[in-house]
Amino acid sequence: MEKLSKLLLIIGFTLIWACSSDEEPMILDPEIHYYIPAVSPTLRVAGFPQPDRNMISEEGVALGRKLFFDPKLSANSRVSCATCHSPALAFTDGLALAKHGVSGKELHRTSPPIFNLPWQSEGLFWDGGAHDLESLNFGPLTHPDEMGADLNELVAYLESDPEYKKHFNLVFGEEEIQSAQVSRAISQYVRSLISQDSKYDRWKRSEEVLSDLELKGYQLYQKNCSSCHQEGLFTDRSFHNNGLDKAYPDPPELEGLFLGRYRISSNPKDLGAYKTPTLRNISLTAPYMHDGRFETLDEVLNHYQNGIQINETLAPELSEGIALNTSEKEALKAFLRTLTDSVFLQKHQKTN
Amino acid sequence: MKNLIYTALFGSLLIFSSCQDEETPATMALNIELEHVLAGQALELNGKSFTLPSGEDFTPKKFKYYISNVELRNSVSGETYVEPESYHLISEDGNKSIDLGMVPSSDYDQLVFSIGVDEIANGKTDQTGDLDPNSDMAWNWNTGYKFLVLEGEFTNSKTNERQGLVMHIGTNPNYKTITQPLSGVRAGKATTLTLNSNLDELFLDPNTLEVSELESTTIMFGELAGKVADNYSEGFISIK
Repeated sequence: MEKLSKLLLIIGFTLIWACSSDEEPMILDPEIHYYIPAVSPTLRVAGFPQPDRNMISEEGVALGRKLFFDPKLSANSRVSCATCHSPALAFTDGLALAKHGVSGKELHRTSPPIFNLPWQSEGLFWDGGAHDLESLNFGPLTHPDEMGADLNELVAYLESDPEYKKHFNLVFGEEEIQSAQVSRAISQYVRSLISQDSKYDRWKRSEEVLSDLELKGYQLYQKNCSSCHQEGLFTDRSFHNNGLDKAYPDPPELEGLFLGRYRISSNPKDLGAYKTPTLRNISLTAPYMHDGRFETLDEVLNHYQNGIQINETLAPELSEGIALNTSEKEALKAFLRTLTDSVFLQKHQKTN
Repeated sequence: MKNLIYTALFGSLLIFSSCQDEETPATMALNIELEHVLAGQALELNGKSFTLPSGEDFTPKKFKYYISNVELRNSVSGETYVEPESYHLISEDGNKSIDLGMVPSSDYDQLVFSIGVDEIANGKTDQTGDLDPNSDMAWNWNTGYKFLVLEGEFTNSKTNERQGLVMHIGTNPNYKTITQPLSGVRAGKATTLTLNSNLDELFLDPNTLEVSELESTTIMFGELAGKVADNYSEGFISIK
């Protein structure tokens, strides 16, 4: 069935292709509007990677958005995706280790900002354990300390809601809702969250100028930070041990949770390594690090200056630490504030 | 050359079969049933006690595994039937059969299948049917499927205490392909094959596992999981 619909899609695509001029939107089904989100050159990426098995459409994004904000997906009907990923905080929750899952138990990692993920090709989660968004979503949906959903009950709830039922049928063209579709719809919404209109972006597009302090901060960023927080996405999408801890406890019941990327790769070089987070919207995504141990950017900068714990897997760039004087720190923070994207934040506020 | 032989063979078969009174139907029904055995007895969950090969008594609570990419081969004619979308979740308290439906008629003499989920299917979990992540066989923090799950309680021979045993075996290197000889499958004749899954073999051959000696009785990743996978690649499932 899936193959057949794909084939029809391809045939439809070919037909449309044949009779449309260049600038018309891709319309494969009269009611489904597939699209390629616009991408600013300031992200320094090669366009939007449209996933073959879950092409982004306006209707799919709208469905995913509805699911993202629906607490009824959770076991106690009180926790939605947005509980931990609030648009106002660049899709984080402002907490180090949250306790607002269905069990009330403290989580082990802080909720990461979830924007510009179409380019996170090296795996998702702090340790890169999820191959793609479609696979990732089942984690927070079903984890007993997060949303705690039973997938069969979740699908039954969606089936019983006529609006959802209609919406799913429209987007996926199948009779019955399946857990795979729930994850795909949420993935489409999350892929539509693209932050690319900060003051930094406008400056790079020659639409605005940076102050002298911000420019000085930009140079300090380039010199000290850009090897891992690469310009554009402001992450190298890779995993590094940034010297937070010397040793890593490994209680068997947590299945290697404190070992960093090693938990996934089994490569000893990855012990204590976590994904480089983006610096975009950094002023809104405190507290910092995979476990939210630093409340402020000053604490983070002090860590890089004085707090680096040295062991065999430490990122070599950090072996000497990063020394900045007070005025340099102020300049760097002024530059980091130019990465706040109020256009993006306003666009994705929940308004209904 | 080989093709020529096959053509000749096929031709002669045609001539031969045309002399028969009744024609062999083009397809035949083929069904596979699985039986689970531990210590020579039929497996039961949540009650009955069994003896593990290392001597401990053991009460199984959960036993599930994937059988995938089922193929039938006729090594004489070279005919092969490959089941499309071939993923089957087998569980002691659920489904214990694989209905291949109507397959092309042939005197199949080999059954090929794998334990686990192949690398492509194992790379994502937004899937349907037996791969739907609603069956508790998908890993959410490390994308992929558990290939085999055995859980239960045993009495530690050193401490005499009841202790949990958890085997969650997955990851691509532990996907194992098994070939079993078939006898008695005749073209055109509906057949039910019975496979025997012998749980003793998870603890034996080539790697002997004494559960009371294990550092951790939660076996999920790493070397120990690989040893269990080597065990299930040999002698675990066989034609009855």
